[in-house]
Amino acid sequence: MVAVLAMCALATVGITVGIIVMLVGQSWNFFNSEHVSFKEFFTGTEWTALQSKNIDDAKFGILPLLSGTFRVTAIAMLIALPSGLITAVYLSEFASKKVRAVLKPTLEVIAGIPTVVLGYFAVLVIGPSLQWLTDGGFDAFNATSAGIAVGILCLPMVCSLSEDALHAVPRALREGAYGLGCTPFETSVKVVIPAALSGIVSAFLLAFSRAVGETMVVALAAGTQATYTMDPRTQSQTMTGFIVEMIKSENEYGTVQYFSLYGVAIALFVITFGMTLIGQLVRRRYRESYS
Amino acid sequence: MSIDSISQDAPQDPGVQRPIPEAIRQGASATAESTLNSRHRKRVSKAFYGLCVAISLLSVLVLVVLLISIAVQGHSRLTPTLLTGSHSTSEPASSGMYPAIIGSLAICFVCALSALPLGIGTAIFLEEFQPTNIWLRRLHGFINLNISNLAGVPSIVYGLLGLSLFVFMFNAFGQIKVNESSGTEIMGVERYYQVLTLAGGGDSVLIPQSDLSQPTITITEPMPAVDRQGNTFQLEVWDPKSETPKPSDPAIRHRTVRLGQGGGAYAKTSWYYFRLPFGRSFLAAGLTLSLVILPIVIIASQESLRSVSPSLREASYGLGATKWQTVRNVSLPAAIPGIMTGAILAMGRAIGEAAPILVVLGATVAKNSGPQNLMDTVVTMPVLIFHWAGDPQFTYQQLAAAAIIVLLLILLLMNSVAIYLRQKMRIE
Repeated sequence: MVAVLAMCALATVGITVGIIVMLVGQSWNFFNSEHVSFKEFFTGTEWTALQSKNIDDAKFGILPLLSGTFRVTAIAMLIALPSGLITAVYLSEFASKKVRAVLKPTLEVIAGIPTVVLGYFAVLVIGPSLQWLTDGGFDAFNATSAGIAVGILCLPMVCSLSEDALHAVPRALREGAYGLGCTPFETSVKVVIPAALSGIVSAFLLAFSRAVGETMVVALAAGTQATYTMDPRTQSQTMTGFIVEMIKSENEYGTVQYFSLYGVAIALFVITFGMTLIGQLVRRRYRESYS
Repeated sequence: MSIDSISQDAPQDPGVQRPIPEAIRQGASATAESTLNSRHRKRVSKAFYGLCVAISLLSVLVLVVLLISIAVQGHSRLTPTLLTGSHSTSEPASSGMYPAIIGSLAICFVCALSALPLGIGTAIFLEEFQPTNIWLRRLHGFINLNISNLAGVPSIVYGLLGLSLFVFMFNAFGQIKVNESSGTEIMGVERYYQVLTLAGGGDSVLIPQSDLSQPTITITEPMPAVDRQGNTFQLEVWDPKSETPKPSDPAIRHRTVRLGQGGGAYAKTSWYYFRLPFGRSFLAAGLTLSLVILPIVIIASQESLRSVSPSLREASYGLGATKWQTVRNVSLPAAIPGIMTGAILAMGRAIGEAAPILVVLGATVAKNSGPQNLMDTVVTMPVLIFHWAGDPQFTYQQLAAAAIIVLLLILLLMNSVAIYLRQKMRIE
């Protein structure tokens, strides 16, 4: 019986191995092609895998997709990190039971909303409001509206992970601070948050990796043009957005254009896996120090 | 320099270290400066508190705006047609999501059936069977870390894994191609050629297919055939060029075909139709989703098992129970409410997940029924919503909002069941 359970546990390792084997194996078909070079892949500023039916015209430089992902993620983090952390501080330090009873379920509901719904929300409400506020300064599909929606998506995650970290800070530290005459603000910002810093940093890293890997919101709201710019008002296809577009397109299995999605996927996997790994390691360290 | 002038010159920054005023050192309880300073600090603290409340309320506000905007956009399409119809490109107004609801539930069922045993088994192994050997302990830690990492892998990458692992199975069993090959079929399918008879009106007979690589047949000689009721009989051939008149008896016409009549391939599948690789089937989609939710199930079950009081286990060991008996009779029953809650939350995630299904099944939404057999393709609610939301037609935009309302209601129902189960099991 124990052997069966151990097999279950080892199967999870098998999944990781499967992902790596699959990504390396399939992207080999891409990188091995004569139309693709590593140098162009990492430094090229044009990505036209979808637009060019003829393989000779296709340009495979991942920077436009990376910049798209970066724009959306940066905006999402600008929203999710401060507001998530402040909400967490409020929940763990100040909130009364009544407020908690409203706020906690609200955050859980937001966390449970399917991402495709938030994508639709971005197209329906956020995009038009941005256009209205700036008199059409934004494209219909733009990085900002997608970024805001992804930020909403990441907020509950940042909040609950940071709150766990804040909760783990021993009571004695707070009492010491109050005893020395600190105000609640000074106690939270100068004592509790630094004490929980590693947990908060890991929450940030995990949220970052979640935002990078987010798919449906950007597929709906960020547009389908891969642009190499830092302007958040323009269309910006992200790595995940490109994978979805390629899957939706009529490209035949076996063409270099089709396999380019695996090249993008392996880059995506390396980034998110690295972020999550660092986040988990930081989290583990901090857990040991307080329990 | 007087105390007053210091307090007015220096900006009141709580971060700047200033010397303790002489008066306080002498024993005074407060000076003008310290009063001002503490007033300022209190003001900052109040402002911070206000900021906390404002930002926290913002999340509530966002949720309210989201729900209201979707309700406003979708309420006019919340009709019975939405629940009974299927996607239609010619008549957007009569489109519905019945196949998508059935499809989502079917996929969820497959997902639960595969992810729950695997996930709970893993959690039991990690929590209850902790080894003492240093190397095995390291392996334990590694598996734990690996699971947390899997939880952070983007779902679309799981979709790509499912595409290789379940849809194509690394092409180990041959590739599925339309009209050419169906991979390696195990059971649940009978293949025939469908040939029109002389009876007219679309009446046809079935001829068992022997060579799967031939998609069509041309009738040149009498051969065994099967009618719609499943009876085998000998098929007769009538040559229009010959002198024999066309048979007039309907019973004979029913068993006779014209010479040179062509027939196309026809597959009669039972619900348990099974083949390798799975192709773009709902079985493949469900198994892919089970990979996505597996880390969530494991982590929730682990936390639930961890929260079972050690004294319960110790009592069980004290009574002479073995490790396995303790797990089965003590730990697992005590942890079941938590595991169930985690499982249902994971199912909610699975129902709302669109990206992996999009990769595994493709973006097609033209299907007017739920899955007919294990290898049938399927439409799910999130994919349908994605398709409708991406369509510029206003009707589809409204339909997307209405479908979102249905999806959110189903999720709400599932979560209520989770809460109800948790309450009920706790009382018992």
